[in-house]
Formats: sequence, structure tokens, C-alpha cells
Amino acid sequence: MTPLIPRARFLLGGAEIAAILVFAAAFAVPTMTRSVLVYSVMNQALVGVVAAQSVWIMLRMNLLSFASPAFMAIGGYTVAIAGQHDITDAFVLTAAAFLLPALVAVPLGALVLRLKGTYFVLVTFVLSQIMQLLLFETPGLTGGSNGISGIPPVTFLGTELATNKQVVLFACGIALLATIITACLTRYFRQHFAAIEENEILAESLGLVVWRYKALGFVVAAGIAGLAGYSLVTMLLTAHPSSFESGTAVDFIAYTIVGGRASILGPVVGTASLVYATNLFGTHGQYAQGLYGALILVVVLALRGGVVGTVASLVRRIR
Amino acid sequence: MSELRVEGLAKRFGGLRVFQDISFVLPSGALLGVIGPNGAGKTTLINVISGRQPASAGRIVLDGRDVTNQPAHAISRLGLARSFQQTNTFKSVSVRENIARAIRFGQRGIPKGLENLLIEFGLTARLDEQSDKLPYGLQKMLGLAMAFATSPKVLLLDEPAAGLERAERNNVDLFVKHVREAGASVLIVEHDMDLIRRLCPRILVLDAGVLLADGSPAEVLARPDVIAAYLGDSEEAA
Repeated sequence: MTPLIPRARFLLGGAEIAAILVFAAAFAVPTMTRSVLVYSVMNQALVGVVAAQSVWIMLRMNLLSFASPAFMAIGGYTVAIAGQHDITDAFVLTAAAFLLPALVAVPLGALVLRLKGTYFVLVTFVLSQIMQLLLFETPGLTGGSNGISGIPPVTFLGTELATNKQVVLFACGIALLATIITACLTRYFRQHFAAIEENEILAESLGLVVWRYKALGFVVAAGIAGLAGYSLVTMLLTAHPSSFESGTAVDFIAYTIVGGRASILGPVVGTASLVYATNLFGTHGQYAQGLYGALILVVVLALRGGVVGTVASLVRRIR
Repeated sequence: MSELRVEGLAKRFGGLRVFQDISFVLPSGALLGVIGPNGAGKTTLINVISGRQPASAGRIVLDGRDVTNQPAHAISRLGLARSFQQTNTFKSVSVRENIARAIRFGQRGIPKGLENLLIEFGLTARLDEQSDKLPYGLQKMLGLAMAFATSPKVLLLDEPAAGLERAERNNVDLFVKHVREAGASVLIVEHDMDLIRRLCPRILVLDAGVLLADGSPAEVLARPDVIAAYLGDSEEAA
């Protein structure tokens, strides 16, 4: 007989393992093709999926965050400034790109996590706007409106990652790392996050320290966004304010919602689909934005659980 | 010992006074009923004591420790649990998972008698059902069982019999019996006067945010001011 209360075990579920395998398999793609277009689309998707995972972590607690571009900027500019000082080691830069945004998120989280719903959304959007202002108004540190260009390539175990193929492989590595961190966090605390998402008042009345888990999620989400910024700057070899505009948060949120917010596969599928669609619609000139918007509208209206949620519910029905 | 002491408690929302100067003691293992017309401030009283809403004035002391305006999770972990007037469970997960979360989040171990309580409520046979698929009465019992699963020393029940059929109301009696056997004290806010008379040796009456009476049901319910609060005075009736 199943015990009344099953032992809590920390095992990655099918979705988490599948997401990790997707990025492990992604390493094979650059070895199979030399197409610049494929590399470019892959790079966009890999940066996007990491940023979308940052959004997804917060959505696990029903918090819609527009702060990801701000933390991406911290991660990206950290790498750029480090590059100016000839610090190019991939391990050092990865640690810095994760830890610095995470540290900044600690005091910010203490302020913004008091808010809920629309207020939280608005304040996180304002954070991204303030970050833009900071980037423009601190030219001594960030290069202001010119940004920081001419960043030296990252070195991995002494090898410069200078070719397109190496950069894509590096982006795969960052996406894999971000996915492992996200999977471990959301799996280990899945009951806590799910309880907060579904019924925060009840969870707190039962003794759950809600603010602690929200803060943890916010800090890790900031670190993940920092990794996305790192990946972006490594791809462009430039850190520029326009890469971290607050409006880009809408894309990352769209990736997550379209893919489905119930599973870690949601941001992966959503990002892959929408980045592919962006490139596809790009050939239709002035209609591109309209087609992209229409696609999001159709998916959100027709597939309430996102692509992954709808497929999962169909599979359950068939079984 | 798990005494709950409330001293001069008041709650205002801006200029609106919900209640004021509420004082009472709930001794260890005791059972106290709180009655009053709609809008008297009973649910807000539970919200303030349990940390859901801050007090405007006064003190709440649990086991000699001042817990006034402590967050709800901290008060819960000190052993004060509450139930809700409406069904309030994690609807997307099973009954088992709901109980498991209550035990894990409460961090006070599995209370003695929990399994028996679930059997008597008829929840054991439905442990793997999603909680929102349960009938209303069972969802309400699940909410009570979850509060009990946190191993409380003091339990605040907000209209546990509301919306239940007559037969289901016996489960509330059963629940209170289990809670008291576990050594916890109970405060029940309820409109069902039969239940209050049956269970509570002592009741408080709140009317328009003021503590109108405190005593045994027989004494309190015979008082003209209590009758007037519930039924309206004779002039109004005329």
C-alpha cells in the first residue's frame, strides 16, 4: 500500500531529462552543417531559450517578470568589461555572468517581491527601463550609447572560441548549463513553487515561508538571465544597450507562454518555434511583425496550455 | 501549554473600524465559540490572529510569546493553524499531495490520529483523486484535515459547517473531537447555533466589531442584547 505521505525524492522528471537531452543533442548540429543561417538561427534560439527559462522560473510561482533584459545586461556587460581587462576564461566569465546578476537581485528582490500581480509586472518592467538609463548614463563604465565593442573572444581551456562553429557550441554549453540549473531548482522545490503558484495564501497559512522561495527563484532567474546576456555578448562580441531593451522581455515571455508554462519543455519548444517563425516571416518584409503577432495570438487563443501543455493533455486523453 | 491570549485587539481598514478592544483567553485544550451577525468581524478576527492581516492595535500572545503582526507562516510554525470559510485546497493535486504539503510546510511532524481522521472523513479511499473533483463537503473536510496535519497547538476554524448538509455536519463534531484528543485548543467561528451549543462550553458574541458577551451558551444566548443583535430589537421588528 502506498504510504500516506510518500518520501520526497529528488529525481529529475521526464520533461527535465528531455530538455537536458535536447541541449546535449544540440552540440551535434554545428558538426553536421556549416550553414551560417543555421548557426545564426541556433544562436538566436539558444540565447532566447536561456532568457525564457529565466521568465519560466518566475512563472512557476505565478510571477510574470519583465526584468530579464536588466539582468541580461548585467551578465552581458560584466563579460564585456572583463574582456576589456583581458579576462576571457570561459569558467571565470560564466561564474561572473551568473553570480553578479544574482547578487544584484538579492536587494532588488527584497523590494519588488512584496508586490503581486500587475504591480509586480510594472515594477519589473521599470527595472529594465532603469537599466537602459544606467547603460546610457554611465559611459565611463558601459560605453554609453556606443556600448562596448571589440571584446576579445572567450577562451575555453586555453582555446579561443573565435569561429562561428565554436561560438554556437559555446552557446549550446551555456544553454545546457542554464537548463540543468533551472531543472534542478524547479524540480527540487516543485511542491513549494507549485503551492505558491496555485494558492499562496493557503501555502503560507500552512507554514510555507513564501518570500524565501520567491527570493530564491528571483535570484536564480536573474543568474540565468545573466547567462543569456553572456551568451548574447559572446555571439556579438559587442555589448550595446539596444541588445537589452526592456521590450525584448515581451519576446521571452511569448516564448514561454506559447511553448507552455507548465513544463520546462515549454520555453524550449516556444523559443524554437517563435525564433524559426521570426526568420521565416522575415522574408515577408513589412508583414513580418504582423504575421508574428498573429501567430502568437492564434496559439495563445487556440492552445491555452501552450504547445507542450496541449500535446500533454492530448496524450493523457488518448491514454 | 498552548494558551492563546488576545489583548485589546483592534482592526481598521483606513477609516473603517472592523473590530476594537477584543480581549479573551483561550486556555490550553479549551474550546471557544465565536458567534455574531454577518459583518461582525469574526473572519477578520481569525485573519488577524493567524497573521493573514496586521492588527491595528492590541496584542496576540501564543504560549507566552508575542506573535502580534508576525507573518502567517511564522505563526503557523509556532503551532497556530486555521481553516477557511470557503473550500481552500490545492485544487490541481491529489488529496494525498494536499495532506503531504500541509505536513511538509508545517514542519511539525505527522500528528497522531491523522490517519484515523482521514478514514472517518472518507478521504482514505480517495487519496489519489484530484482535490477539486471531490464533492463540496469532502473538500471542506480536506481543508480541515490539512489544518490538522500541521500538528497545531491552537486551531482557528472559520465556519467549518458552512455549506454542509446536516449529515456532513457531524464530521465537524468528529473533527473537533480528534483535535482535542491531540491536545490542541480550538476557536470556532460559526453561524450554526446547534453546533455551537453542542460543542462549546463557552462562547463570545461579536456585534459590529465589539465584544458583546462572553460566557456559557445558556447565559449568553438568553441576554436581550445578544437576541437583539441577532434578530433586531422589537422596535425594528415592528
